[in-house]
Amino acid sequence: MSRKLGAVALALGILVGAMGLKTMIAAHSNGAVVMANGLSPAPPVTGQHPPK
Amino acid sequence: MPSQFTCMLILGVALEVCFLVCSIFRGALLRYFFLNLYVILSLFADLVRQYVLHYYGFHSPDYVYVYYYSDLLLTLSLFIVVISLASRVFEELHFARFVRWVAVLLLLGTAVFSYGVIAQSSQRLYTTFAYELSQNLYFVGLVITYILWGAVLKLRETRTRLVQMVLALGLYFSAYAGTYALVNLGTKHEVVLVQYLGPLLGCFLPISWMVTILRHNEDSRLTPARLVALPR
Repeated sequence: MSRKLGAVALALGILVGAMGLKTMIAAHSNGAVVMANGLSPAPPVTGQHPPK
Repeated sequence: MPSQFTCMLILGVALEVCFLVCSIFRGALLRYFFLNLYVILSLFADLVRQYVLHYYGFHSPDYVYVYYYSDLLLTLSLFIVVISLASRVFEELHFARFVRWVAVLLLLGTAVFSYGVIAQSSQRLYTTFAYELSQNLYFVGLVITYILWGAVLKLRETRTRLVQMVLALGLYFSAYAGTYALVNLGTKHEVVLVQYLGPLLGCFLPISWMVTILRHNEDSRLTPARLVALPR
């Protein structure tokens, strides 16, 4: 039981840390899209999220 | 597509193929299955992206869709790579199952969080969800890799291949987070710079893993003193 609670607590801690880090880095974000895997060029930065 | 991108693409694809060949010949294909799977998927994604780029154009929505959906696939596989390395680091403590539970919870939590972020602002969710989930998973992977760095130091991990693969992943995630910050804080020139940095960073993981596999075998060990220099 304690191990399951530990897993939940650790997952929540990592999630909060990761989202906090992202928010901190993107504090002055203009919504630009750049971060992606691979070798191909990222699509043009339009200042908006990908097309809906 | 500018010729610089073509050069980087050829270089990157060559490095990925070299990594796979080295991995097969050094007997690391199944031992580090998820690393190899990530590189295979990356190779496949690059080829598909190039096909779409060639036939539909750089500014077409098709390229944007293919780019971000394949990016989500690659980020998911990179997340699995991090978890597989974490399982190896913690397996001697019998925490491998615990790590898998945490991974599943993290994946679910990130998906729910990403959905929550975009649910009220989008009519068609799929692409935006893929983009948001990919970015959030990146940062989750970054935090897990930093925790792994700490665990490697604290547990005096001595398996050279494992340590170097974790270090390479940490550098890769950190570099991408840096480029993300650069674009969000920067001017138009920095955005252009990042357009070139992304593909260059894509070459980093195959080359670092390839060097690790070529230089060290599975029995190679680091001495703890080399791993961390503590003042006496």
